[in-house]
Amino acid sequence: MSHKAAKLGLTSLVLALAFGALLYSTLGESAQYYKHVEEVMVAPDGWYGTPMQIHGFARDIRRKRDSLEYSFEMHSKGHVVRASYTGIVPDTFKNESEVVLQGTLGPDGFHATGMTAKCPSKYEPQAGGAAGTTGTTAY
Amino acid sequence: MSSLGFYLLLTAFVVCAYALAASVAGARRRSQRLIESGIGAFYLIAAVMSAASAIIIYAFVAGDYSIKYVARYSDSVQPLFYKITSYWGGLDGSIMFWVFLLSVFGSTAVYVNRERHRELIPYVVAVISVVQMFFLFLMIVHNNPFETYLTETRADGEGLNPLLQNFYMVIHPPTMYTGFVGLTIPYAFGMAALITGYLDDSWLRAVRRWTMISWLFLSVGLGLGMIWAYEELGWGGYWGWDPVENAGLLPWFTATAFLHSVMVQERRGMLRVWNVTLVILTFFLTIFGTFMTRSGIVQSVHAFGEDPELARMFTIFMVSILTISFGFVIYRLPLLRARNELDSWVSREAAFLANNWILLFSAFFVLFATMFPTLSEAVTGERLTVGPPFFNKWMLPIGLVLLLLTGIGPLLAWRKSTLLNLRDQFLIPVAAAAVVGGAIVALGVRVWTSGIAFALCGFVTGTIGQEFWRGARVRQTTTGTDVFTALIGLVARNKRRYGGYIVHIAIVLIFLGFAGEGFKQDEQVLLKPGQQTQVGDFVVRLDAVRVTDDGQKQMITGHTTVFRDGEELARMYPAKWFFRKHEDEPTTEVAIRRSFAEDIYLVMPAFNLEEQSASMQIVINPLVNWVWVGFGLLAVGTLIALLPETVFAFAAARVPANAVTTSLLLLSLVLWPAAVVAQSGQTVSTEQRSALERQLEGEILCTCGCRRPLNDCGMFNCQGHSSQTAKLRQFLSEGQDHDAVIASFVRDFGSEAVLAAPVDRGFNRLAWLFPYLAALTALIAIVVTARRWSHPAALAAAGDAGLDPALSARLDDELRNLD
Repeated sequence: MSHKAAKLGLTSLVLALAFGALLYSTLGESAQYYKHVEEVMVAPDGWYGTPMQIHGFARDIRRKRDSLEYSFEMHSKGHVVRASYTGIVPDTFKNESEVVLQGTLGPDGFHATGMTAKCPSKYEPQAGGAAGTTGTTAY
Repeated sequence: MSSLGFYLLLTAFVVCAYALAASVAGARRRSQRLIESGIGAFYLIAAVMSAASAIIIYAFVAGDYSIKYVARYSDSVQPLFYKITSYWGGLDGSIMFWVFLLSVFGSTAVYVNRERHRELIPYVVAVISVVQMFFLFLMIVHNNPFETYLTETRADGEGLNPLLQNFYMVIHPPTMYTGFVGLTIPYAFGMAALITGYLDDSWLRAVRRWTMISWLFLSVGLGLGMIWAYEELGWGGYWGWDPVENAGLLPWFTATAFLHSVMVQERRGMLRVWNVTLVILTFFLTIFGTFMTRSGIVQSVHAFGEDPELARMFTIFMVSILTISFGFVIYRLPLLRARNELDSWVSREAAFLANNWILLFSAFFVLFATMFPTLSEAVTGERLTVGPPFFNKWMLPIGLVLLLLTGIGPLLAWRKSTLLNLRDQFLIPVAAAAVVGGAIVALGVRVWTSGIAFALCGFVTGTIGQEFWRGARVRQTTTGTDVFTALIGLVARNKRRYGGYIVHIAIVLIFLGFAGEGFKQDEQVLLKPGQQTQVGDFVVRLDAVRVTDDGQKQMITGHTTVFRDGEELARMYPAKWFFRKHEDEPTTEVAIRRSFAEDIYLVMPAFNLEEQSASMQIVINPLVNWVWVGFGLLAVGTLIALLPETVFAFAAARVPANAVTTSLLLLSLVLWPAAVVAQSGQTVSTEQRSALERQLEGEILCTCGCRRPLNDCGMFNCQGHSSQTAKLRQFLSEGQDHDAVIASFVRDFGSEAVLAAPVDRGFNRLAWLFPYLAALTALIAIVVTARRWSHPAALAAAGDAGLDPALSARLDDELRNLD
């Protein structure tokens, strides 16, 4: 019994360690910081180049003519950052809408590679259901 | 009206409390009256909840906008259909709908099993009542769907979100719910078994069907959610690893694991702790999924609204579930010891075990990754997120391994596979995989994960094809029918197994669709009328952007033409619709051109009427339709496994076949119950019994009134069964042989009615055979007469004796050729 338990324990340990190591290494590549604009813009220098998601409200949205290049401001609790994004924006992306951007921060502003808009407030996902990624996420 | 509804909820809570108390007290005092009273109260909850549901639906239909919930989720112009379905449109109503479904399912489960599992029922009632009480409590103190506005009087409601006014969104949530709620029943039976200590396999029998039904609904619900996301949300995909989606997937993993491991317990008496654990985990994950998506603990793009109060109540409930459930598991560990040990790693039970580990790991991985932002914030104070690429990186290899196991499992024998039968079994599937893999390489496919997936699909298809083919061949030789009849007979005789294989084929098709994802092409462009763009083999041209209005909504439509190789393939019309009262929430109408090879998927997320320009997202989704076909086939396979025997008996009896085939088929139908029950594992017992004892068990009837042989008594814990078995053992231990035992039984019972043989074979078989016997007799008569007439009188003089050998030989021949 003890022999069997030892074997079982050892196998589980090795497996757990292997998975842990794999998980850790892949997490390092995939994990992104999720920050609100004010958290980042207090000391933006430290965040330059870090892949992250940034949460805030859009305003002053401009689009370059005949293109999908957008330029706008993200603000939250008094802090502001200029942001740029090229691609299709969600339906709900308009001035003062709540947005989460994926991308990196640079000295000239936030370069977004992805944009997710908060769903319309009345939208409540169905309980337990796969309600999907609402708001035409630009993938 | 609203107060009546609320009082009904209060009543339901009180009745629940009574059902709980009466059942537990009744079980402890062994008072049948108290137990019955508890069961009665339990049925009453279903009635009360039905009444409450009727009231909320009435409020929606009649437009009682004084009720906040009604005002928030409907308005007067909504079609009747959507008014009714608004019942489960929001949080409060969905909790009520949950309780309603649970009360109906629970009552049904208790009603069906009240005789067969008498000792478990009081605790089943108690456990389900506790769960109902929790949700009723939530409604009473926190999420009352009948809450009214205090001062305001509303003339109209706000209306259901247009995104949800969609056919799939109407049937998807209740399907999902049915799956979620149905999984409470196995948990209740499992807990009842743990509490009472009746931990033989009987509780598994009671819940197997429920788990399968719930699993079916959960799978179909997930499929419908995917179709909805694909057709309505317009981002070109169907699965984004969103927390809400993951919540539905978590219990699906563990329920799938349970459906597999339950077979190991039935066949080999192993994995008993594991099965109880899976049932508990599955239930826990249904609650956890609800909690995760409802309380705002996981931040998602969906506007969940954080609700710490709700989160706290859910947490208390979940912690209680885990502690109490696993407390009982630990307490009952001595009773849960496995009857067998794993003989070899090259065995079917080992394959099932591996499949279980991987499914469980998937569940934990998805849970971990979904909760990661919350966990990281709790641990480090920094909110870190992981996106779909992280999920895909992990779930892709896991999915491939699962697919591989789908193919390996059926090829391995129970207990231990020898080298010889490994070679025999694996030859064809591996060859199939090699052929597909070779073809993929030859075609120069560049996405290697998809290539592996295709090859594995070939492997699994080979496995299942081989299983069907061999089974059908064996059946063909034993029954002498054609292959088709044999195939249907095979499936009908062994519904669970072959239904399961059909589900595996469905999984192959779904994976085919997933593999196609590797070749997805996605393009975002801004087009003006006349401009075109190339995506893959296709050229998409924008012809115009037009505005129309149908009174209910304003529609902006992008008129596009799709070409392939310079030829016009299709005209497609992606659009944006602006519903009245919801102008700020336009819906994106996707244009999809479907084919089995690929979908062309056009979205027009934005437009500019002055410039006449439209931004277009063009997605080419290869093989995506196979996912939907797969989900359909999955439902068919599960239904085959679920269908009651009688349905199949009818279907199989109508299989066209010639005379003797039919008679054999009918004969097999007479012996049906034995075969079916045997395959469903009721007779599985690993106690060592002699061949003689087993033979006799098939020949002697149980005296409980079931009129079935001892090894096939459908009644559980039946008195007749145990007394007869004891008697049989006694006779055998006295050293009696087969005939002596039979004689002793007949003597004890007083007539031959105690024997299975006369009953099953006597009149019934005569009845079946009668037409054929009559036909045979008539034939013999005709042949004899014909020969008499055609022979010269001289020969006739030689007498009957001389004719006999020739006649009988010819008769034999003709009879042999008759079929």
